Amino acid sequence: MKTLLAIGIGAGVGSYGRYLVSLPDFSLVYPAGTFLANVSGSLLLGIFSGYFSVKKPKEWMKAGLGVGLCGGYTTFSTFAFEVNMFLFHEQWLEAAIYMAGTLAGGITLVFLGFYLGERMGGGEE
Amino acid sequence: MIGVYIAVGGAAGAVCRYLLGRFVARFQAGIPIPISMLVVNVLGSFGLGVLVGTLYGGMSADASTEPLYLLVGTGFFGAFTTFSTFSLEIMQLLHYKKIQLVVYYVMLSYVGITLSFYIGLSAVV
Repeated sequence: MKTLLAIGIGAGVGSYGRYLVSLPDFSLVYPAGTFLANVSGSLLLGIFSGYFSVKKPKEWMKAGLGVGLCGGYTTFSTFAFEVNMFLFHEQWLEAAIYMAGTLAGGITLVFLGFYLGERMGGGEE
Repeated sequence: MIGVYIAVGGAAGAVCRYLLGRFVARFQAGIPIPISMLVVNVLGSFGLGVLVGTLYGGMSADASTEPLYLLVGTGFFGAFTTFSTFSLEIMQLLHYKKIQLVVYYVMLSYVGITLSFYIGLSAVV
């Protein structure tokens, strides 16, 4: 129950954070908000995972920050919406760049985050 | 008020992701790629497609301001699906040098969410 509550609270904050990131006028680069949330959220989850691999957290805390906060902050459904929007307008190149860019950014930053988190936790000296 | 819609929808979405993810994980044995988030992300993208189709009658670039979309689209389906865990799972597969599985996982996820959004949208339009 404590875990579910932590997930709910974390995701409430995370989802609103994702909305705030998408607020600035990105009309020139259409899906920039979702892109920013997904790559920075991958960095954040990497940091938590790295840190918690060294310092074992309480289950509810790990779930609240990982499943809740990072899970709620990042999204795949809006990403699917945006990819469909590109395809609908026959912007094949844009769709490919958006998909590849998000993937590359997410993987790179989750690695970086994990490394940083491990260091913060005092591991891998 | 916008924040409340998104946070409430997001909290519910993330808790549902957690519960469904745990249920799907029961069927993981023997399958080399992570299936929990794959199922959740494909299902959530289908749901968002249905919502966009229902509310706007087709692809709409400005589907972001009305309360029902903020609650169910940005909030619930936004947080029900996740990208950060996807990044982390890829990191883990790469750590064990399972390059081929990464390719399968990325392809299945990308094609799955894009198609399911489209099918969801087409089902109601």
